[in-house]
Amino acid sequence: MMTLHGVDIFLNLSELPKLPDKLGPFDLIFIASRGTRVYPVAANTHAGIDWPQCRYFSDETVTDVEIEQLVTQITELGLQWTKCQKLFKLDGENAFSQPY
Amino acid sequence: MSHKVCLIRGDGTGPEIVAAVEGVLRSAKVNIDWIEVEAGLKCVEAGKPIVPDETIEKIREIGVGLKGPMTTPIGKGSVSPNVTLRKKLDLFACVRPVFSLPGVETPFKNLDLVIFRENTEDLYAQIEYMATPTAAHSVKVITESGSERIIRAAFDYAKKNSRKNVVGIHKANIMKIADGLFLRTFKRIAKEYPAIENWDNIVDNQCMQLVTKWQAYDVLVTLNLYGDIISDLAAGMMGGLGVAPGANYGTDCAVFEAVHGSAPKYAGMNKVNPTALLLSATLMLDHLGEHDAKSNIEGALKATLQKGIKTYDLGGSATTSGFAEAVASELKG
Repeated sequence: MMTLHGVDIFLNLSELPKLPDKLGPFDLIFIASRGTRVYPVAANTHAGIDWPQCRYFSDETVTDVEIEQLVTQITELGLQWTKCQKLFKLDGENAFSQPY
Repeated sequence: MSHKVCLIRGDGTGPEIVAAVEGVLRSAKVNIDWIEVEAGLKCVEAGKPIVPDETIEKIREIGVGLKGPMTTPIGKGSVSPNVTLRKKLDLFACVRPVFSLPGVETPFKNLDLVIFRENTEDLYAQIEYMATPTAAHSVKVITESGSERIIRAAFDYAKKNSRKNVVGIHKANIMKIADGLFLRTFKRIAKEYPAIENWDNIVDNQCMQLVTKWQAYDVLVTLNLYGDIISDLAAGMMGGLGVAPGANYGTDCAVFEAVHGSAPKYAGMNKVNPTALLLSATLMLDHLGEHDAKSNIEGALKATLQKGIKTYDLGGSATTSGFAEAVASELKG
């Protein structure tokens, strides 16, 4: 069974975005660039940030409407998203990758 | 002058190979202060990350590392120690020199080229999703800045080493956006190096060209996935992974490694070929400014192979340590 738990929001930005740690039922888990974590602890302090991937996630199942509200809130912060990818669990297992 | 170098002994046959290389470097009177750092299966078994943060920090602090082969554990959640090092240290340039060695018979005579592989993005960003229960989606990330720095590194290398040409390899006829960005960047950077001949080639055609016209190529520069594949193809042309060296360079640190795996089934048998790590160590010596020691060791290695002293993978019967001792005995001075 496929259940919805969050979203990866990719931003048109070349720097670390300032984002709330919590939005609705979601926690900001990490921000990554090119698949490498840059927030909350930067795995790598040398590479520039390009097209940051911001993961908001909830251990509980969420709805499509909650995802849409989250994305709207990101837009209201003045940030431009270029891609959003919903995060699912398949039979209770994460069906998405983790950054380095 | 003493050089500080972080040393990862590795898994499987790694410790034997590293010991062999240490012995040759000692015999060549290179003064290295080895700083041992942990990584690999031992760390996983101890409940630590496969490359602990302390190891990353130490290599970052020292600036240079030599790494024996490591094993990527199979199973859910496991990560490659090699990719971890490259990503966390931002070692964006994987450099793989490929050249003929005396006594190593291959159909590819007078092979002498260098492959520059982008190391941090492309499909190796490993951003992947199940989009539906039956459709998977992997994000290929190519950036202008990521492309520019690897392309510039390739041209700078060509200029410094009097190489005649740099060829950009891509698949922009199909991936017109992602590989197209790499290709546009290649063409833009190439204009800054008018003395170096350049052209681009599609990756599948390049593979064919490599095994038919290898002498036409000096420096190849490409994206991460194509570089991974082409560099192993080229290693085979050189005589196999047992002789193919590798280096990973970032802005302010570098890690040198054999490109082969840890061959755990041969662990403790004193059997595997230390040449790949030894040649990687000579790349490290070059990086450290020890150019005479590099030439001395390369000369000794070639003399050893020329005499027919080889490990099993090259059809010989020398042991790992025996081969290293033979190389050491050929050193000058």
